[in-house]
Amino acid sequence: MNDTQSASTPSAHRPRVLVGKPGLDGHDRGAKYVAHILRDAGFEVIYTGIRRSPEQIVAAAIQEDAAAIGLSLLSGAHNVLFKRIIELLKEQSAGDIVVFGGGTIPPADVPGLEAMGVQAVFGPGTPAKEIVETLDHLLAQPA
Amino acid sequence: MNPSLSQLVQDARHGEEPRAIRAAGRLMSLLEDDPTRLPELFQAVDHLPEPRVLLGLTGAPGSGKSTLTDALVAEHRRRHPDEKVGVIAVDPSSPFSGGAVLGDRVRMMRHATDPHVYVRSLASRGHLGGLTLGVKGVARVMGLIGCRAVFIETVGVGQSEVEVAKVADLVAVILAPGQGDSIQMLKAGLMEIGDLFVINKADRDGASALHAQLLGALQLENRAAPSNNDCGVHHGVTIENQQAEAFNDLALDAKPLAAVYLVSATNQTGIGDLLNYVEQVADDNADRWPKRREQRIADEVRDAILEEGRSRLAATLGHNGSFSTTVRAILEGKSNIRESVDELLRKTK
Repeated sequence: MNDTQSASTPSAHRPRVLVGKPGLDGHDRGAKYVAHILRDAGFEVIYTGIRRSPEQIVAAAIQEDAAAIGLSLLSGAHNVLFKRIIELLKEQSAGDIVVFGGGTIPPADVPGLEAMGVQAVFGPGTPAKEIVETLDHLLAQPA
Repeated sequence: MNPSLSQLVQDARHGEEPRAIRAAGRLMSLLEDDPTRLPELFQAVDHLPEPRVLLGLTGAPGSGKSTLTDALVAEHRRRHPDEKVGVIAVDPSSPFSGGAVLGDRVRMMRHATDPHVYVRSLASRGHLGGLTLGVKGVARVMGLIGCRAVFIETVGVGQSEVEVAKVADLVAVILAPGQGDSIQMLKAGLMEIGDLFVINKADRDGASALHAQLLGALQLENRAAPSNNDCGVHHGVTIENQQAEAFNDLALDAKPLAAVYLVSATNQTGIGDLLNYVEQVADDNADRWPKRREQRIADEVRDAILEEGRSRLAATLGHNGSFSTTVRAILEGKSNIRESVDELLRKTK
C-alpha cells in the first residue's frame, strides 16, 4: 500500500474520522475532497453534510466513536464554531477526540485556534499527503 | 486507558448520560473491530434487553434507503416518544484502500441531537463473516442501551450486503422507479431476500408501472399477497400464522407472501402504513423472533469460531502483499491449494 500504513489487514482497526461542515456556508467541495483523500488513505470517514450545528456534529461524533473530527469552514465563523465544538466535546467527556479543520481560515487566526485545542489547520492548497501524515501522527498517540 | 468490555457494558447500561453514550459507542467499535468478542457481551449481562424488531432495509444505490430510514425513525419517534430507536447504516469499504466514506447520516442529521435516536455507520470492511457478526454485535449494544426498534440499512449490491440484511428479523427491499424493468426482477439475489417490498419515490413518474411489474413478478413466484391492489397507496396484509411460520424456516418451496408498499419517503406518504405493518408483524412474532435470535446465537458463535480460524490461518499464510512461500509454491506448480491448506492447518496454532 502506497503512503498509508494505517490500514493493512482487512479486520484491523481503522481510524474513524467524522468530517462535517458547521455553520451556514454551503461550499462542501473542500470537505468532500478531504473525505475522499482520507478514504483513499484507508480511513473510515463519516460525512455529515453541510450546515450542521456544533451540537449535531458532536453528538454524531460520539455515537460514531470517531477518533477525530474534521471541520471545514468558509464562512468566517471558525473562531466561534470551533470553540463551541471543543467546549461541547469537553462537556460530554469526549475531550480526547482530535479536532482539526480547514477552509478559508486567515493565518492570523491559526494560533488562536490552536490555543483553544484545534490540533491542526489545513489551509487551501495543503497537499493530501500532509493531511494524511498529520492525522496519522495525531491519531497514533492515544490508541 | 482502555476500559474492559464488561466495564463498558456497565457504563453503557447504568452510567450517567454523556458517559453512557460514549461507552456504548466504544463498545460498538470494540465489537466491530473484533466481532469474535460478541460472546463476552452475553457473558457480561444477565438479561440482555433486545430490540422488539430488527428491520433490514436494502436496495440499489439511490433507491432512497437512507431517506426512508429517516422517515421511519421520525414516525417511530412520533408514535413512541419514550422509546429509543437505533439505525445501523452500512456502506461499502474500498477494496483498494480499505477506507470508506460513510454518507448515510447526511439524510438523518435532523435526529442527531435526539438522545432517543442512535445512529451508527459501519463500513463493510471487505469480508463477510466479520461484517455480519459485527452488525449483530452493534445491534445487541443498541438493545443494551434500550433501543426498541433497530433499522439496518445496507446497499443491496454484492453478497456481503445481502447477507447483512439477513441479520434482521424482517427484510424490506426498497425499489424506486427508473432503475430497470421487470427482467431485473427475475435476477437472483435481491428479490429473493425480501420479506416485504417498498416502492419508494411514489411521487415520481413510473412508480405505478413499477408497482404493477413488482406484483407481476411476485405472482410468478406465488408470493403476491391476495387482495392488495385496492387504491394504490398501501398494500399491507396481516401475516397469518402459516406465513409467519414460513418466515421462520426459509424453506425453498414455501416462500411466504410478500407485502408491497408504495411510499414517498420525501413526502412522508405511506410511511405510517409501512410502520403499522412492521409493528403488526413484530407483534405476531413477539414470541418467535427472540427464539430465532437465540438460535442464531449458535450461528453467531459458529461464525466467531470460523472468523478466529480464518485470521489464524491468515497469520500463518502471511499478509496480503507478502509473496509467501506457500503462494509461490502453488504458482510454480509445486503444490496445490488443497495440499497447501492441509499444511497450513498443521502449522497453525
